[in-house]
Amino acid sequence: MNDKKLNCKDVMAHICDNLGEELNSPKCVEIKNHIENCDNCKNYFNSVETTIQFYKKYNVSVSEDAHNRLVEALGLKE
Amino acid sequence: MEEEKLIELAQKGDKNALADLVKQYEQTVYNFSFKICRNKDRAENTMQETFLSMVKNLHQFSGESKLSTWLYRVVANHCLMLARSQNKYEFASLDDEDALIDEKNIADWKVTPEKVIENKELKSFLDEAIEKLAPEYRIVFLLRDVEGLSTEETAKITEISVPAVKSRLHRARAFLRNELDMRFKQ
Repeated sequence: MNDKKLNCKDVMAHICDNLGEELNSPKCVEIKNHIENCDNCKNYFNSVETTIQFYKKYNVSVSEDAHNRLVEALGLKE
Repeated sequence: MEEEKLIELAQKGDKNALADLVKQYEQTVYNFSFKICRNKDRAENTMQETFLSMVKNLHQFSGESKLSTWLYRVVANHCLMLARSQNKYEFASLDDEDALIDEKNIADWKVTPEKVIENKELKSFLDEAIEKLAPEYRIVFLLRDVEGLSTEETAKITEISVPAVKSRLHRARAFLRNELDMRFKQ
C-alpha cells in the first residue's frame, strides 16, 4: 500500500482494520488525507463509526429482581 | 476500598467484601452478557453463572490481570458454550472478505445514534443485525469496539492472536455496517 496510490477499497479496509488506533502512523495520515477528499470514503468512515455508536449506546440495566436473585444465588442476601 | 484490598478480603471469606465486588461489577457483567445474548433471561443466567464462577475460583485469582478482564472471559466463554449447545441459529458467512466491502456509492446516513435510547423498533433492528453475526465475531466486536478494550486485551480474553482479533473485527464491523446500511441509506 505504501508504493502505490490508495484506492477506496484499500482505505475502507484499513478503516475497518484500524479505526481508533495507530492514528498517527504514516498509513493513517495518508488515509486521513484520502478521506478528506473522497465523499464515498468519508461516508463509509462515518457509517462504521455510527454503527459502533449505536451498539455502544444500547445498554440495559440490572433490574432489582435480577439483582435480588443474584445475591440470593450467591448466598449474600442483604 | 480499593479493589485489590476487596479481593484480598473476599479471598479470606469476607462476605461484605465479596458483596461489594459483586455490586461493583454486576451492571457491567449483565450489560455485556445481554449484548452478546440479546436476551434478558439468558443475560441474567450468564450473570449468575459468572459470579458463581468468581466465588468458586476467587482463591486462584493472582491479580496478574484485572478482575474485569477475568470476568469478561467468563462471560464470553459461557455465552459461546450456550450458543454451541443451542446450535439452532444460522449465522452469516463472513468468509468472503472482499464481498463485505462494496466501495461504490456509499450513502450518507444522516442519523444520530442517540435515537437508540428510546426507540424500541430501532433496538429490535440492532438486535436482529447482530444476531446474524456468529458469536466468535460478535464477542470480538463487543469487547474491542463497544466495551473499548484494547486489541491485546481482546486477544487475551478470547484466546486468539492479535491478527485474528483484527481480522474478525474488520469483518464484524463491515458486516454490521452493511446490515444497518439497508435501513439508514438515504
